[in-house]
Amino acid sequence: MKIISMVTSHVTRRGALLSAALLGLLAACDTTVVNPGRVQEVFLFETEAQEAIVSGIGRAAAEAQNYVGYTGAAVTREIHPSGSTGSFGITVEWQNGELDYETIGTHWNLSQRARWWGDDGIAKIMETGAENQATLAEAYLWTGYAYRLLGENFCVSVIDGEGAGARSVYYERAIARFDQAVSLGSGDMAMAAVAARASVKAFSGDWSGAMADAAGVPDNFVFDMPYFATEGNATRNRIQFASQAEPYKAHTQRYTKYEDYSMSENNPDGDPRVPYRVTDETGDAAVQCCGQVPWWPQTKYADSGSDIPLSKGTEMRLIEAEAMLVGGDWQGAMGKINALRMAAGVEPAMATNTAEAWTALKFERGVVLWLEGRRLGDFFRWNRDNTPGDLHSLEQPSGSQNEGSHLVQQDLCYPISRGEVDTNPNINGPTG
Amino acid sequence: MTNRLFDALRSFAGGVGAVGVVILAAALAVPAAAQAQDGAVTGTVTDETSGRPVGSVQVYLDGTGLGTLSRDNGRFVILNVPAGEYTIRAERIGYASAEATITINAGATTQHDFAIASQALGLDEIVVTGTAGAARRREVGNSISQLDVEQEVVGPPVNVDALLQARVPGMSITQSSASSGGGAMIRLRGNVSMTQSNQPLIYIDGVRVRSEGFAKNVPPIGYSGRSNNDVSSPLNSINPQDIERVEVIKGAAATTLYGTEASAGVIQIFTKRGSVGDATWTGQLEQGLSRNLTFGPDPSLRPPSENPTSLSGGRSDFLFINPWLRGHKPMCDDPIVVQDQPCDSGLFSDMGAHQQKYALNVGGGAENVRYFVSASYENDDGVLPNDNEKKVILRGNFTFNPMESLQLQWNTSYTNDQLEHTAGGNNAHGMTLNTFRRDRNYLNDESFNAINPFLNQEITTQIDHLITGLTATYSPLANFSNRFSIGYDLAQQDNRNLRPFGFIRAPTGILATSRYEFNTLTVDYVGSLDFSLPMGIRSALSFGGQSVTTRSERTTAYGDNFPGPGDPDVDNAGNTLGFEDRTRIVNAGLFAQNVFDISNKYFITVGLRVDGNSAFGADFGLQAYPKVSGSYVISDEDFWDEGWGSMKLRAAWGQAGRAPGAFDAVRTFAAAGWGGVPAFLPSNVGNATIGPETTSELELGFEGSFMDDRLALDFTYFGQTTSDALFSVRQIPSLGFTSSQLANVGELVNNGYELGLNYSIIRNDTWTWDINGSLSLTDSEVTSLGDVPEFSIGGFGWVAEGYPAPVIRSDCVANPDERADPIILDRTDEQCVHGPNQATTIAGFGMTFGLPAGIVLTARGEYQGGAFMTNGPQAAATRRSVRWAGCFEAYNTWETQGYAALTAEERARCDLKFYQSDFAVQPADFFKIREVSAQAPLPDAWANMVGASRATVTLSGRNFFRWVDPLMRTLDPEVGGNVGYNTRVRSMTEHVPPPAFYTFSMQLVF
Repeated sequence: MKIISMVTSHVTRRGALLSAALLGLLAACDTTVVNPGRVQEVFLFETEAQEAIVSGIGRAAAEAQNYVGYTGAAVTREIHPSGSTGSFGITVEWQNGELDYETIGTHWNLSQRARWWGDDGIAKIMETGAENQATLAEAYLWTGYAYRLLGENFCVSVIDGEGAGARSVYYERAIARFDQAVSLGSGDMAMAAVAARASVKAFSGDWSGAMADAAGVPDNFVFDMPYFATEGNATRNRIQFASQAEPYKAHTQRYTKYEDYSMSENNPDGDPRVPYRVTDETGDAAVQCCGQVPWWPQTKYADSGSDIPLSKGTEMRLIEAEAMLVGGDWQGAMGKINALRMAAGVEPAMATNTAEAWTALKFERGVVLWLEGRRLGDFFRWNRDNTPGDLHSLEQPSGSQNEGSHLVQQDLCYPISRGEVDTNPNINGPTG
Repeated sequence: MTNRLFDALRSFAGGVGAVGVVILAAALAVPAAAQAQDGAVTGTVTDETSGRPVGSVQVYLDGTGLGTLSRDNGRFVILNVPAGEYTIRAERIGYASAEATITINAGATTQHDFAIASQALGLDEIVVTGTAGAARRREVGNSISQLDVEQEVVGPPVNVDALLQARVPGMSITQSSASSGGGAMIRLRGNVSMTQSNQPLIYIDGVRVRSEGFAKNVPPIGYSGRSNNDVSSPLNSINPQDIERVEVIKGAAATTLYGTEASAGVIQIFTKRGSVGDATWTGQLEQGLSRNLTFGPDPSLRPPSENPTSLSGGRSDFLFINPWLRGHKPMCDDPIVVQDQPCDSGLFSDMGAHQQKYALNVGGGAENVRYFVSASYENDDGVLPNDNEKKVILRGNFTFNPMESLQLQWNTSYTNDQLEHTAGGNNAHGMTLNTFRRDRNYLNDESFNAINPFLNQEITTQIDHLITGLTATYSPLANFSNRFSIGYDLAQQDNRNLRPFGFIRAPTGILATSRYEFNTLTVDYVGSLDFSLPMGIRSALSFGGQSVTTRSERTTAYGDNFPGPGDPDVDNAGNTLGFEDRTRIVNAGLFAQNVFDISNKYFITVGLRVDGNSAFGADFGLQAYPKVSGSYVISDEDFWDEGWGSMKLRAAWGQAGRAPGAFDAVRTFAAAGWGGVPAFLPSNVGNATIGPETTSELELGFEGSFMDDRLALDFTYFGQTTSDALFSVRQIPSLGFTSSQLANVGELVNNGYELGLNYSIIRNDTWTWDINGSLSLTDSEVTSLGDVPEFSIGGFGWVAEGYPAPVIRSDCVANPDERADPIILDRTDEQCVHGPNQATTIAGFGMTFGLPAGIVLTARGEYQGGAFMTNGPQAAATRRSVRWAGCFEAYNTWETQGYAALTAEERARCDLKFYQSDFAVQPADFFKIREVSAQAPLPDAWANMVGASRATVTLSGRNFFRWVDPLMRTLDPEVGGNVGYNTRVRSMTEHVPPPAFYTFSMQLVF
């Protein structure tokens, strides 16, 4: 009361009223803000969002393919490092053939994102009600490819924060999604699903199933993962962009098995399926093993918008050839291989026994699927299945860092990443 | 400038006109009516010891609301004083207040001069920061650092960052590169957040301005380092000569009433106001040079296999970039210099980068209207060849008293900053990286003609920055006042980044043009009511509210693949892309505070602020920040002998916060394109309960002046605990969202001590010798991770329980001194914990000599120690088998004594066979002389020759001496990374270190 008694003048009362009004005004401030740019989840349950969900699943798969394929190409020596170790480069560990769980976080994350987003996106579409079957089929197809990428390249499976499981979980899930894509899709989409299913069945050792699927895919069929030169680095063809000299010259064909085999300025009659360009430049920087390396970039992909094949008829023929080898028909296999070589305009391969036919097949798969992110998986399963036949000496670790072979070791699959190990309570280490 | 800025300027101009009319009317009409019966008082304020005039002294008639500031020549005049007897007071920071009784006669002018004594501790000086309104220092229970620019700053600082460097205990200011216009990281008492910005809030004349750096000039796609890789600071939009004083508050105990966003501290800048009297014009001219100290090993340490210079004439002590550094080019008669290569022909042809500045201000006014208007222009070359900054700053501060109980204060500044840069940092298209990496750069060629084309990249930035604020203070009664402020900070930035057609590493050319707009609208109300309580207790109640709305907008056009040479715009490009970002954040809060004054000796303050913020989660609600503090002026006790000096004990506890980012609360999907069609990708997990991290701080200390006011001590202990700390919780990748999500899970602690000291060793009317020093010791620790995994925040900086925040740890060598191959330990091994990333010990030293004839010499130095950081250029170079200058000693041993003579540490650091980036972590201790200046007045007769009443000249050198830990063999511990100066973990990229500055200036007062 004493306080009030001191504040007596009308001026003060007016001031108090003013103060109260201002306080009321401030109290009424609305701090609710919706900023543009990012999409809240609730919007994804609208029908209009479904096409963008499917495109997103595809893009996620493309980004994963970009990293896994590039690093796999380095470790299997489809490409040789020429200096860059940072952005778009090949780390010293990968140069040595080591896929350590500390260094492959991006590969793991992108691959898991592609897989998860495929399943989650499909669930969202199903919950909302698919606008059309083609859209849903495409979602299944990209998701299937995401699982194939994991199955062919990663040592063990981890699904949705659970514990580690067998690698076969990825194959099974891939096949289930390709089944859906085949039943819901049509045209190239359905054909791609059949071809992809064939490759997964082959990987998992189901050769009869693989043969059956492969048989339905013509030689000239190609289904690509699209890449774009104009949307930013994530959607560029990473293998191409890493050696496009703008600014990276991160890898070369020097010191690879293709150096003397491929079509190039040094060998105009070489195999045109594995082309590269000879320059008088050297790579970005010196390489641990070999000093400064001549920069002879691949030219299979003309620019960073070049698509990367995911499934193609020529691969199907090699699946058929390999199935024949598994069945003991090495002559039949060579027939398949040489048919492809003839079509490509190169000399037929020679073999006089099963082992040599396996050698020819392993070489030919390297040529047909060159820089398509498949070689590491091939190495893994041939090693797993203890198949006969040899790889080229330049594809194998020499145990030293001398010029000509930087591969001190050669890990054949990606482990669980350090990030998954650290965060997933059900995982105890890089192998689960 | 965009239309909106033109609109703002038009509005400003219109406002000037409107206010001008009002001012004129008031100036002519209001005083005219009164002048007939009233008198006036005039006089001069001088320093009691030196006799020098003292400006900016608040001279007022007690209890009347009449007063003014003394001018630079010490003169003051108070007009329109009704006849009668008054108590006239003179108060100024750093001086003891003085008072006298005077009589004013109608129609007459009374003369009264003050001779005021400098005082180490002014308990009755007014401070503003951290309180709801102004308060006397004796009332404030927390520490406040003040810098009186006019009294304490001698040499002309390059910018505000340099002005503040090494002046305030517990404040560290580090500039991260030599890039023109680059800002500086400011930390007050270390880090209080591991994920949010630790840059303090900035208020200029009560207007909140952007405290984060401006945007980096970089294309929106491709590698994010195609830039100079440093950014400008809004703080440097202020002309240091316009600043009257700066107040710095360093912890949550003091910043509570600023609420959310204030936990990292607050810097308040107050610019000059006009004083009553005729216009006083002040002109300033500055000419100077900047040039680098060496930042690599001396060439004499090179191994036998190394040539004395690179093919372009580069030397190891400049990491081979000196052929492009202003001030260090090779001599023209050096045979290594090729045709058209810039070189030093002698005769001062290559002394350094030219700096020049011209400034003019005028202040004055009548009783009801005062003004301070200033303009400055500077044109500064940087040490790198393309670097230049041209800056124009205009300011108008107007004080208007339309009636006795109402004061209007309108302060406005406009800055036009035009910057040109050389590509630097970690950038394969940059000059610095490609010289540091010698012949193993991206060209495999270190010759001048190979590297010089990197200069063809054009990186230009224009920043238009308008800060305007209007404050109305209405005081209907002596014990009741209302202050209403509205402030608007608008910065528009235009970035252009062109690698032209034919550019050496992008032959078809790349162009990005970005327009940014950053604005902050602040609306403030504070009411203050003083009243009495029983038992003689005085009470000062303050209450009010504040709303801060910040907007950030960006539109970018990008093009590449140009058809041919020429000066392109984006639509010439073969490929074009567009980008846009818009973010708005609203924070609104209410606060109340009461100061209980018991006998003018004991003070207890309690306060509370409650905030809402648009970035809080939907389920979070409001956040309350309480505070309580006490101040005890023990020297006012009867038992205190006056000869002991004066002393205040203080204790404070309070909280402040830091909000999450605009999108952290919401589960979102990124709308990305894929081949021209829309595509959604998982982006942010979201957290509906996310709120601010809250820093609580306990602060204890004292301030005192002793030994006849010759010695001032200021001691503070602080303990800060940030609870609900926002940590980046790594998500389980197999659950699809791969980026981390912020969550309020952690806790971190900062404890420390701060000591400030000023001592006048000699003080007489001819000589003065003052020394000052400051010491701050800070320890930080992450005390809880909240059961989430430890996480990295870059540069080998980790947030891990039980360690400093952040701690630098990396794989390390177990047997560093052994002459054997290294045994490598994992980073999780205790032996591999290097230490904190922020300095734990900061010490400042300074002294000022006053000599006869008004000559003043001053010097300041700063030591920072205890921190570790990664030398990124070394890491990147060595792993590419570059012969790194930092390894010259090791290479020398290797070549002259054999490999067996190398220690394990040397092998790990310099032999590619063992090399990991981890081995580039180095101690970041340093000492620098921040400033040495000499100032002398010119004879009045000389000044009079140009019509001036006073003239002074000053010679200054800044940062021209440096000591660094010998283990940091290259670069400089202040060098920063690629994202600009404000980083959570300090680490280096390929920047040229900040240079030294040498300046001559002349000031003329008319």
